[in-house]
Parts: sequence; C-alpha cells; structure tokens
Amino acid sequence: MDTKTDNHEEIIRTICNSHCGGNCEMKVHVRGSKIVRIEPDDREGRPRMCARGYAYRQRVYATDRLLYPLKRTGVRGSGEFSRISWDEALDTIAREMNRVKSTYGNAAFLHFCSMCDPYTLHSVGVFHRLLCQFGGYTAPWGFISNEGAAFSAGITYSTYRRNLETEHSPDEYLTSKLIIMWSWNPVDTEQGTTTPFHLARAKENGARIICVDPRYTDSAATFADQWVPIRPGGDAAALMAMAYVIISENLHDKLFIEKYTTGFEKYRDYLFGLEDGVIKTPSWAEKICGIPAATITQLAREYATKKPATLTTSIAAGRSSFGEQYHRAAAALESITGNLLFRNWQSPPSKNLKFNTQIPSPPNKVEIGVPPRRNALPFRGTSVNSSARVNVSLFSDAILKGKEGGYPADYKFLWLSNTNYMNQLGDVNKAAKAFQKLEFMLVTEQFMTATARFADIVLPVCTFLERTDLMAPRTGRVLGILNKAIDPIGESRSQLQICQALAPRIGINDFPDQPDEQLARNIVEQVSKEVPLPEYDTLKTCGIFRVMTDEPQENTGKKNEIREPQPFTTPSGKIEIYSSVAAKMNDPLIPAIPKYIESWESLNDPLAKKYPLQLITPHYKLRAHSQFDNLPWLRELLTQKVSINSIDAASRGVINGDMVKVFNDRGEVRIPADVTERIMPGVVALPQGAWFKPDKDGIDYGGCANVLTKNVTSPGGAFSPNTALVQIEKVVD
Amino acid sequence: MQYGIYIDQNRCMGCFACVVACKDWHDVPAGPASWIKVKTIEKGKYPDLFVAFLPGTCYHCAKPTCIPACPVNAITKREADGIVTVDREACLGKDKCGLCLEACPFGAPQFGSEENATMQKCDLCLERWSEGKKPVCVSSCPMYALDAGPLKELIEKYGNNRDAVGFESSEVCAPSVIFKSKKNRNLSP
Repeated sequence: MDTKTDNHEEIIRTICNSHCGGNCEMKVHVRGSKIVRIEPDDREGRPRMCARGYAYRQRVYATDRLLYPLKRTGVRGSGEFSRISWDEALDTIAREMNRVKSTYGNAAFLHFCSMCDPYTLHSVGVFHRLLCQFGGYTAPWGFISNEGAAFSAGITYSTYRRNLETEHSPDEYLTSKLIIMWSWNPVDTEQGTTTPFHLARAKENGARIICVDPRYTDSAATFADQWVPIRPGGDAAALMAMAYVIISENLHDKLFIEKYTTGFEKYRDYLFGLEDGVIKTPSWAEKICGIPAATITQLAREYATKKPATLTTSIAAGRSSFGEQYHRAAAALESITGNLLFRNWQSPPSKNLKFNTQIPSPPNKVEIGVPPRRNALPFRGTSVNSSARVNVSLFSDAILKGKEGGYPADYKFLWLSNTNYMNQLGDVNKAAKAFQKLEFMLVTEQFMTATARFADIVLPVCTFLERTDLMAPRTGRVLGILNKAIDPIGESRSQLQICQALAPRIGINDFPDQPDEQLARNIVEQVSKEVPLPEYDTLKTCGIFRVMTDEPQENTGKKNEIREPQPFTTPSGKIEIYSSVAAKMNDPLIPAIPKYIESWESLNDPLAKKYPLQLITPHYKLRAHSQFDNLPWLRELLTQKVSINSIDAASRGVINGDMVKVFNDRGEVRIPADVTERIMPGVVALPQGAWFKPDKDGIDYGGCANVLTKNVTSPGGAFSPNTALVQIEKVVD
Repeated sequence: MQYGIYIDQNRCMGCFACVVACKDWHDVPAGPASWIKVKTIEKGKYPDLFVAFLPGTCYHCAKPTCIPACPVNAITKREADGIVTVDREACLGKDKCGLCLEACPFGAPQFGSEENATMQKCDLCLERWSEGKKPVCVSSCPMYALDAGPLKELIEKYGNNRDAVGFESSEVCAPSVIFKSKKNRNLSP
C-alpha cells in the first residue's frame, strides 16, 4: 500500500447536525475511510463548535452504536433483542403497518420525529411524505422546547419572532446598555456559540447584565453584574410587578403603547387590582417569586430607563405549568417600555423562495375536514391546528387514554424516529406503561435508548457524517451542503434510505428513489433559478454559503432606532396585550390579558408538605437533550448530580457527593448530591437528558429528570418539566 | 524566541470546547491525561457569589523545572520557539519516575491511566504552526478567549499582566503566559 496516500487527510465540510439550535460549521478530517479528527471552521466570524461538536468522532465510532436491525425477543422494555436482516425487519414493519391500517385506520398511527436531524432530506419531512402517501397518520403539534413562547407570540403578535428561543437576535446585545437574562443560560444551551460571544462583547462594550434565575449559572458567572435568584413559577408575577412599578411611576412609553399596542388599559386595570382586588405590587410578587420587593422595583426602574435595554426571557421558564403567562407578561413589559425592537424579528419576510426546498408531500388525510383545536393559533395553518393532532408532550397520555380520554383516536402503532421521548418528556414511568399498550412499536435510532428498549423492531440510523443533506431554508438567504464524510457504519442506513426501502412494501411506488446527494443537487438547481448560487461542486466546499452578501450578517450597533413595523396580522393589527384570539378561546386558564395563575405543585399545594422542594430540569452543557450522554470525552468532564443549596442539604444531613434519592409520587432517582451555594434554597436542579437506567424496582440510577416530572401541558400547550415538587433524602445503606 | 499563551479569563465560560478539541486533535483517549484543563473557582455564600473559570496547560516556561528534574533528558526546550516537548519513548514512566510531575508547579505533565504511563503534554500544537494554524485550543474557542504566538507580540497586543483568579505563578519557572484577569468581586463577609 502506498503510505503517502494512506496518510492523506481529506477535509470534508459539513454543518453540525445536533439538537442544540446551533448550526456550527465543521471540517471533518478523513484518512482512508475513517474520520480522524474534527476542526472548527476557521473563517472570521463563523460560529465555532462546542465541546459536543468536537466530540462527535466518539459518537460515530461509539462502541454502543446500533449497527444492525434488531427484533425484540423478551418482554417490552427488557432490552432483549436479536439481530435480524434488513429484509426481515422491513417486511415485518410493512406487514404490521398494513394490518393496523386495515384494522383500525390511519389515525391509529402515531409518528414522532425530533429535531435532532433538522435539515432537509432526512428530517421529519421524509417520514411525513411516506406516511401521507400511506394514507395519513396522527402527527404531533407543539414545540417541546418553546410552545409557551410560541403561544404567547402567536396571540400577541400573530407571528413567531425571528429567534423564538430567545426572541432576540445576538446583535441586539451589542447595542444594549442593559441586558436582563431571564432564566437564560446560553453558556450551556448555546443556540449557536455566537450568542455567548456576543454577550461577552456586549459586556466589554459596557452593558450592564442582570441574571434572573434560580441558579447562579455559568452564564451568571461569566456575564452577570447582578444575580437575582427567583423561585420557579414566580416569573410572571415578578414581570407583572415590574410593569406595575413602571406604570405607577409613569415610566411607561405612552407613544409606543398608543401607536403599536392594544389592551394596555385592561392590563393596567388588572395590575392595579381593579379586576380581582389584588394589586400586583412588588410585595405581592415577593411572596410568590422570592425576589425582595426592593429588587423588583430596582429592576423595573432600570429596565424602563436604561435604554436601549434587552429583556431576554428565555424559553426555560416557559416550560412550566402556565408557561405562556410568563411569556405574555414579558411581551407586555417589552411593549409598555418601548424596548421592543422590530428590526430583528419582523423582517425580513420568512419566505423568499417560490420553490419549496422541503420534500413535497400530499395532504395528511387524517387531518382533512377535522376542525381546529380549541387553543389553535390562527396564523399557524389548518394542518398544524387540526384537532386530529396530538400535543407531542402528551404522547404517553394519548396512547394510554385514546378516544375514551378525549383524544381523537386510539393509537396502536407508534413510530419514533431519532427521539428518546420516554427519557425526554414528562413522566418516564407513565411512558413505560403506554408502550405496553401498543400493538406495534418501531424505533429508528443510533443507540439503544430508554425508548428503543421498548420497541418491537429497532432500525439502525447512521449519523449525519455518513450521509448527504442540505441546509436550504425557504428564506433563500443561506444554503449549506452537509457532505457525507464516510460510508454508514455497520448496516446502518440514513432516514431517507429507510423510507425508500419501506415505501414499495407498503404500496407506495412513487416515493423519491434517488440517492440523497442527487436530491440535494436537484434542490440546489431549483434554488439557483431564484438566487445566485455557485455550482453544486463549489458549494460542497463552502460550508454555509451566504447568498445575501450585500447584507451585513452582524449589526455593528450604530443604529438603534425603532424601525416602523409592518402591520401585524393580529385582529387589531397591533401588538395585542389584550388578545382577542385568547378571548375567543373562552377559557379562564387562557385569559385575554396576561395573568398570574397559581400553579399546581407550587409551594402552596398541600403536596408541598410531603415534597417541599421545587425541581427544575435545566439543560446540561455536555449534552444536547439526551444526545451525547454516552461519549467518554464528555462524561469525564462533569458528573450528573442533583444540585441542592447547602442549607437544604444540611437540614437533611447531606454532604457534597452523598448519594441521595430524589423522589415524588411519580418515581425515584438515585444520584450524587451537588451541595452548592449556586442555587436558591428550596429549589433543586437535576439537568435533563441523562439516560434513564432503572434497576429491577424501577429506581433510576441514570439521573433522568423526567422520572419526576408530570405528563401534562400548560393550557396553551407547553411542556411543563420545570413545575414539579420533590423530596430529597440521603441514601442510607 | 519564546512562544507563549494569552488567556482572557473574562471570556472563558467553562465550556470545555478547548479540552475536547485538544483531545480530538491529538487523539488523547478519555482518561486522566488532558493537555489542557479548565478549572472552576467558586467563592462566597448564597446569594453573594463569585465564580471564575481558568484554562490551564503547559506554559512552556522560560526556565522549566521539569527539564532538570528528568533523569533521562526526555524533556527539551526548543531553541527556535521555546516550546517544551517530551520524548515519550525515552520517558521512564510515571510509576518508575514521575519526577517531572513533582517539579512542575502547574501540573502540566500528563499521564494516561495505563501502567507506568509515559509523560505527554501540550506541545502548543507544533505541527499546526507549520501549516500556518494556531494551536487547536485557540482556534476552537467559541469565545475567542485564547491566543498563542511569540510572547513579545502577545505582550504588545494584550499587555503584560501575569495574574488571573486561581492562578499561582512561579518566579522560578517564569511561565510564558499572560492574562486578562477576571475582576475579583468583593464578597460580603
């Protein structure tokens, strides 16, 4: 063998394809047919990867990668499987699909696909196409991450804001004098590494930064001039008391309110107690949120006067029992202070291309002619709003209860694609019960996850480094090719290949049959008819190609004026502090103005006597949800623990590192305690995403937070894993 | 000529990107050996807290104490750039010797978990300089908190501050590192 050729490293460009919200460009070094290392994009201004991206080689070559199709041999959940051929696996799946379809109809199929492969050719679109051609299926609605924010934005502005996760674009920070980071920890959650980088630069520019969070997070450590600890569930109350102070002290922006909003008077009346006799003063809020009244007043005055000010109310606190009220209170506060900037989220229009870059699909017959659900948002379109859909966060409830429980169908066949929903949605033990009720369960995965252990058939899916995909948003502003670096490991296949192999077996003869790279070429050809693009082979070497080169990618902060907004598509044409859409929903738990609604499992709940600690389940810097939990390079850096304040630990006789049990009526986790000053007394934090590892009695030793969370959504549809009461005790052996 | 390292402690957010990028680039397996590490410094009592992060690596000292400590001359300071390198084939191993680890005040010498592991450590990505690239920790940092190059040039660019929160320098070794230090906050007693 020629050693010269053998040592040659080819560099393949791609875009990290993980469920973190970032799109970091990646240079993959390949020697022979093996990935030998991964480098960041070294061009100026490009986002650099995080630790997870640099560890990706260990994911590709992980010893626990699924390499062959498997069929279940033990009882569901036992994890007993045997290797089978692709033909046997696909034939079994097709037989079951055809049987369930003819016995129960298409609504009996539930399919969920997470955003872990969020681009074009291997994403939810390819499964959607297959299942729609098959005659339809029950699809999910609701963003697990941010439905509270989406619901709030939907009824307030009748649109999503451009960056739904934080409602701000990173460059806004550079122009701010004050940045309030509310329940937001971008150091760990990233959403692209440019966000913390911009915050660092904002701080260097002299911005004052305040972190409002139950934890002294690494973001607070890095950026905050002031940390304001807040009790979970108290966010809306604190924001309302800020609004009360601002209006009382006449610091509100009357011009902005008059010109752009509607419903201010009704909200003011609520804040001043004219509606319910309760004045929303800082003292009122202090009892709920634990922030001293004087601090609330200080926050309010600063936010109203230190302009421009950015209030980033992150989606974490919105993942709670009444999450949308928190987001609505924040939206109202941004509006009444005139701090709301239009430039970054209202324009440009979201769709510039005529050509649909996603895999086209016929309509989903299960949804045709079905009325919208009660809490539907008008701007979302009839398909997503259809009452035939199931809120993704309630999948186990839907399977268990079916029609009898008010769901539109009884569910018999569950297909989960690259989603470890058992681990990642409320109440793990309830999901285990739900899986037992199914007639067939198919999981397409890279690893034997907690969810996959329950499947009848598990199909091995390759990673994004083993196939070609395309980043081609309808904005037409960027286009990036995710080049295949190596062939799929073992017998794993891409999502597209799996659908292509299944299609003819379930009676679909016109499913796209070209390889992914050819489909990518076709799409690029179509897009290049509308926007100037280099040839495909040149694009392959570009990473993310930016079409609009004349438009600055980053606002340098010279201009900060309020740009006139385009007319809103709300019924009033304005920002609706009083939402006429919510009013029509006619539900006291979805009030027309933002309101503080006391939660179940708050500290006033009688349950708090038994379970006196409020649990939050934050993101973890070395995982993207449940992804990457198994990589040795990452596992050795931090250990999954439950964080508890030293006061709460002392009263329980717990010292740092002790094995403790964290429990409530839903389950029990045993995990070491992180006894720390960096969390508010009364609050404990167990980072979400650690893999569920139950013993024979069902006690989890993996540290899976959702063993303890409830399988219920907010009235607007938000996943609620940051509302839960638990107790902690030292494990005595 | 002496190469050195610059660390902006205000920007370091403890994300470990440099640590993993370094392990991947140099193919260092999971285990105790890590050519760059990030430590967390925590002070104060709830709710009055101060937390800082500090990356630490071999500082390619002007007067490295590891070199005279090594009985077999396995450690060398390069004339051209002052980078301190180790000949792992010559190294006697941690169990038989380990004297470099005792001599270094910064804990720079690294050893794997294998029996009598030989010393390995940061070489400031020697081979990357020849390709016109900076060390992988520098080019992987999402916060642009790190830099490396001729120490004189770094000092011209960033000043000559030698202190950081959680860093204990050594006059004997004269480490080739400069910092932008995080401001220690005054905590209530």
